[in-house]
Amino acid sequence: MVAAGDIPGAPISEEEALARLRQTQDQSLQYYAAWWLGRMRSRHPEAVPLLLAALGQRQPRDPGAGVEHNAVARNAARALGKLGEDAAIPQLLAALEDNDDGLREAAARALGELRAVAAVPPLCRRLASGPGGAGAPRSDSPRLQEPCEAMLEALGEIGVHQPEVTAVIEPFTLHDRPLIRSAACRALLQLSGEGRWAEPLLQLLQDPQLQVRRAALMDLGAVGWRPALAPICATLAENSLKLIALRGLVENGERHAASVDVESVLAAMDALL
Amino acid sequence: MTSQLIQAVEQASSALGLLQATQALASVEDPAAASCLVEVLGFNNPGAAVAAVDGLIRLGPQAVEPILHCLDPRNYGARAWAVRALAGIGDVRGLEVLEEALATDVGPSVRRAAACGLGQLRLEALMIEERQAVRLRCLEALEAGCRDGEWVVRYGVVFGLEALALLVEPMGDPYQRAQRALASLSQAPAEDTPVVRLRAALALRRLEA
Repeated sequence: MVAAGDIPGAPISEEEALARLRQTQDQSLQYYAAWWLGRMRSRHPEAVPLLLAALGQRQPRDPGAGVEHNAVARNAARALGKLGEDAAIPQLLAALEDNDDGLREAAARALGELRAVAAVPPLCRRLASGPGGAGAPRSDSPRLQEPCEAMLEALGEIGVHQPEVTAVIEPFTLHDRPLIRSAACRALLQLSGEGRWAEPLLQLLQDPQLQVRRAALMDLGAVGWRPALAPICATLAENSLKLIALRGLVENGERHAASVDVESVLAAMDALL
Repeated sequence: MTSQLIQAVEQASSALGLLQATQALASVEDPAAASCLVEVLGFNNPGAAVAAVDGLIRLGPQAVEPILHCLDPRNYGARAWAVRALAGIGDVRGLEVLEEALATDVGPSVRRAAACGLGQLRLEALMIEERQAVRLRCLEALEAGCRDGEWVVRYGVVFGLEALALLVEPMGDPYQRAQRALASLSQAPAEDTPVVRLRAALALRRLEA
């Protein structure tokens, strides 16, 4: 899908990635370079400035080449989320107001990864109209008015546990779409640590659709909800995804450690290898 | 009876039908089922492939020749499942396939399975010199696997190194090399993924106990 020089996906150096992002003639090279810098967690001083410049780029969708709308800007936003530099926050907040919902989605995820408290008010404002507004399907695509899943998850990651925030998230636990319900419960569980928000996630692990079970696995892992150990092992999904979820229980689950210790989770991981 | 079960697999007309027929065939543990189970690995039906891998592992060494015989470099999916089966069986005839898989396979789940398998090959039947030579090759493959880019493969390498260390002479050279590899995987910044560090530290504690 993305051309990356002579051999698609071939390993490149950091210098090469920076050079590809710096040029603006070939956007497919920029697209790959932005991804690369995020994936490799580049610490090069030029990485963030170049990604911020790329975040300002706009381009039309090119279905023939398989290129998405604003592809370079979206990948730059994703990479900035991974590099952990707070300097990127103001421009990511601006991207959260863009007309392109795909770019808003990437920006929301990045702001969540950066734990950007400043993003909480705009995220709440965009979600405040609830499942019937922000969460309503668009007439022109299967997407929703707002990228609700990403925005809800970001609110959970950022971790501002205040009544105004949970009041915005709670209505989405009743959304028609299971993936949105999963994201809302994940955020509320992260913020409050209350087991009542884990129950719907455990139920989604039994959903007939694999895609929904996968999402619930990822969400329980992101929260680190240790009491989910046995249900995660028992759900019907690939071992690769269960291992990612269990890694989450180990790494994110310290505050739920009383119920299940790390060694039990590691033993379950060994059994899935 | 087995031939009827094989026929049921060959004639299955739906994904669910194939899964159920494969489960039934896998459960009889008859060596005559091996070739048919190997064939199922190439059918692009993950549920049935899991059942077939389970069945092949239960057949153990009797399944190795049919698996090696049918390894098809052009069918990536089938090959990946075959590596999992060989890793689970732990027969020395799978050594080269596991070494190559850990070093070069594009799928992290395949490299992960190969790493586990390399740690627990069953070598009781071999002469002692041969046994040591094979363990050394496994160790070298796992040492190289410590540098894999995917955390889940390095987790599998930790599992493999621990298993291997428990099978070699305590305090001998291979044992100490496995310990050193585990030590480097137990510390930041050499290892950046916390769960890998925790698992490596657990392995070291168990080896010292």
